[in-house]
Amino acid sequence: MIPIEVYLVFAAVLFAIGAYGVMVKSNTIVVLMCIELMLNAANINFIVFSAFTTDVLGQVFVIMTISVAAAEVAVGIAILLNAYKLKNTTEADSLTSMRW
Amino acid sequence: MFVEYTWLVPLVPMLCFVIIGFFGKKMPHGGGPLAIFGAMFAFLISALISYEFFTSAAYSSPGYVTEQITWFSIGSFDINIGYYVDSLACLMMLFASFISTLIFIYSIGYMHNEGVKRRRYFAEVSLFLTGMLGLAVSSNFLEMFVFWEAMGLCSYLLIGFWSFTHPNGDDASDNAASAAKKAFLVTRLGDVCLMGGMFVLMYEFGSLDYTAVFDTAAMASVDPNMLMLGSLLIFGGVIGKSAQFPLLDWLPDAMAGPTTVSALIHAATMVKAGVYLVARCFPLFAQNPEVMLFVGVIGGITAFFAATMALNNMNIKKVLAYSTLSQLGYMFLALGAGGYMMALGLQSGDSALIAAGAVGYTAGCLHMANHAFFKALLFLGSGSVIHATGTEDMREMGGLHSKMKITSITMLIGSLSIAGFPLFSGFWSKEIVLEVAMHAGDYGAEGYLFLVLWILAIITAFMTAFYMFRMWFMTFKGKPGHGAEHCHGESPKSMTIPLIILSVFAAALGCIILFGFDDYVTIGIHAGQFQVGSGHGHGFMGWLEDIFLSAYTYLTVALVLIAIGVAYVMYSKMSINPGKFNKDGNSLLYKALSNRWWFPRLYDQIGWKMGYGVAKGVEFVDTQVIDGTVNALSSAVAGSGDSMSKVQTGNVRDYASVVVIGIVVLFAVMLLLFYFMGGA
Repeated sequence: MIPIEVYLVFAAVLFAIGAYGVMVKSNTIVVLMCIELMLNAANINFIVFSAFTTDVLGQVFVIMTISVAAAEVAVGIAILLNAYKLKNTTEADSLTSMRW
Repeated sequence: MFVEYTWLVPLVPMLCFVIIGFFGKKMPHGGGPLAIFGAMFAFLISALISYEFFTSAAYSSPGYVTEQITWFSIGSFDINIGYYVDSLACLMMLFASFISTLIFIYSIGYMHNEGVKRRRYFAEVSLFLTGMLGLAVSSNFLEMFVFWEAMGLCSYLLIGFWSFTHPNGDDASDNAASAAKKAFLVTRLGDVCLMGGMFVLMYEFGSLDYTAVFDTAAMASVDPNMLMLGSLLIFGGVIGKSAQFPLLDWLPDAMAGPTTVSALIHAATMVKAGVYLVARCFPLFAQNPEVMLFVGVIGGITAFFAATMALNNMNIKKVLAYSTLSQLGYMFLALGAGGYMMALGLQSGDSALIAAGAVGYTAGCLHMANHAFFKALLFLGSGSVIHATGTEDMREMGGLHSKMKITSITMLIGSLSIAGFPLFSGFWSKEIVLEVAMHAGDYGAEGYLFLVLWILAIITAFMTAFYMFRMWFMTFKGKPGHGAEHCHGESPKSMTIPLIILSVFAAALGCIILFGFDDYVTIGIHAGQFQVGSGHGHGFMGWLEDIFLSAYTYLTVALVLIAIGVAYVMYSKMSINPGKFNKDGNSLLYKALSNRWWFPRLYDQIGWKMGYGVAKGVEFVDTQVIDGTVNALSSAVAGSGDSMSKVQTGNVRDYASVVVIGIVVLFAVMLLLFYFMGGA
C-alpha cells in the first residue's frame, strides 16, 4: 500500500505549482487554471484523509468543492470576458486600473 | 411699608434704561425726562425708605432690614438675591439718587445738541444709576458684584461716548475710545482681585450674604490669615474702582467723556462704590489692624500724589479729576485710620478705642457725602464753563466772572467747600478726617505711619486749597483768553438751577455732623454684633469743642488761607509769575507733575515689557508647540498613508503574492510557537 505521505507530498507539490502559477503567470486564463490546481490539491487531501480514516465526510466535501469550483470558474470566465471586451486583452499586467 | 419695596430703587432706573434704550428716539430730549423721572422716583422712594427705617424698631436692633430670595442653588449652596437696608445703604441711596437727578436735569441742557446720541446717553446713565443704587441695597457680595460690574460697563460706554478724537482733550485722553478702554481694563484688574476675595469668603464662610459674613462669631471662627487675604483682595477691587494708588491713572483719562458723565462718575457713582465697599466691609477689615493700615496708607499716598499732579495741570476737568482722587484718598485715610484703631480696640477689648475708630467711619462717610455734592457742583460748573467757552484749557479762559455770574459764584462755593474753608461742608469732614488720622498715630506699633500720613494729609489740604483756587482764579478772574471771548453768557436754566441747588448743599451739608449724623452713620458693637447706626455721637457742642479747641484745626485753616492767598497773587493779581518757581515749566518737578509722575509711562512699560513678553511666549507655545503637534500628527498620518498607498498596485499577482507570503509567514510563526511551547 502506498503510504499516506506520498499522497500528501503530491498534493502539496500540486498546491505549490498552483500558487506559483497564480503569482507568476500574467495570462489570466492560466491563473484561473492554477487556481483550479490549488483547489484540486485540497480535494486530494480531502480524499486521502477520507480514505485513510474510512470517513465519507471528506468525499462529500470534495463533491461540494467541485461544484463550487465550477461556479467560480464560470464567474471568473465571465469577468475575464468582460475585461477582454473592455480592454481587448486578458493580460494581468494590463488590468491594473484598481489602484491608488 | 416702604422698606419692603426697596427693590424698586434699582428697578425703576433699570426700567427707564430699557424703555429709553428701545424707544428713546421718539421721546423728547432723547428720553431725558424719563431718566430724570427714574432718578427722582428712586430718590423719593429712598427718602421714604430711609425715614421708615430710621423710625422703625429694626433700626436700633439689629440695625438693618434684609430680605432675600434664592437666586440659584448649586448643590446645597444657595446664592440669594435681596435687599439689605441700613444707615450706610440709606446714605448711599439718598445722595446717589439725589445728585443723579440733578445731573440728569443738567444733562438736558448740556447735551442738547447731541441729537439722536442722547438716547444712548440717557439710557446708559440710567443703567449707571441702577448699578450704584443696586450696589447700595445689595444683600450679598455676588449681587453687589453684579451691580459693580454693571457700573464698570457703563463707565466704559460713557467715557467712550465721544469715541472719536475729542478736540478739547490733551495727550492721552485725545482718544475717548482708548480712555474708555483704559478705564475698563484698569478697573478690571481690581475686579479680578475682588472676585478672588469673594472666592476666599465663600470658601471660608460658606456664604456670601452680608449677614453671614459680618457675623462676629463666624469671623472669629475662620482662619485669620484667610480673612486677611480675603480683605486685602477685596480692597484690591476697591483700589481699581476708586482709582487709588497704583491704579489711579484711568480716572484723569476718563475726562475724555462728557462732563456730566465725569460728574456722575466722581460724585454719585462709580468711585464712591469703592468707598462704600470699604465701609460695608468695615467689620471684616477691622479684624486685622494690618489691613486697615494698608487701607490708610494707600489712601494717604493717593491723596498726596493726586494733589501734586493737580498743581500744574492746565485742563479744568483734569484738575477736578485729580482732586477727586485726592479726596477719595482722604476717605480711605479716614476709614483706614478709624478701622486701625477699631481693630486694635477689638484685639485689646478697649471700648474707648473702638469708639474712636467709629469716628473714622463717620468721617469717611461724611466726607463721601460732602464730596459727592461739591464735586458734582464743581464738575457741573466746569461743564457750564466748557459749554460756554468751547475749551477745557484754563489758559484760554479767564475773566469769565462778569459773563457767568451764577456759574462763577456756585463754583466759588464748591471750591471753598472742597478746600476746607471754615464752616463750609468740606471743612467739617476734612477736619475730622485729619483728627482721626492724627489720633490713630498714637496707637499700635505701626501707628507712627499714620502720623506721617497725617502730615501728608495736611500738606494735601494746603495743595487742595491752592489748586482749587488756581483753577477758580484762572477761569473766572485774570485776563480773558480766546475761549472767554467766545463766551456768549450764562448757560441755560436747566444747567444753572442744578448748580444753585447743589451749591446750597455743598455749602451747608457738612453741618449735619453737628446735628447727629454720627448717631446714624457710625459703626459699633451692639449685643456682640457689628451694627451700623445707633451710635452715641458727640453731639452739637461736642463736635464744636472737638474741632475748635484743637490747635491743629487752626493750623489747617491757616494753611488753607495762605494757599488761597498764594493762588490769588499768582493767578488773579498776577503779581508773582508762577513760572519763576519752575524755570518756566522746565524744572524736573514740573515735568514730573505734568507727566503724572510717569505713571502712564510705567503702565506702558509694564504693558509692553511684560504683556509683550507674555504674548510672545504664548505665541511661541501656540504656533510651535500646539500647532506643531497637530501639524506633525497630521503630516505623519498623511505621509504614512501616502507611502502605504503604493502597496495598492492594482496588479492582481502582487496581491496574490502578498496573500501567499502572509500564509507562509503565519504558518511559520505557528510552527515556531508549537515547537517552542510544546503544543499539539
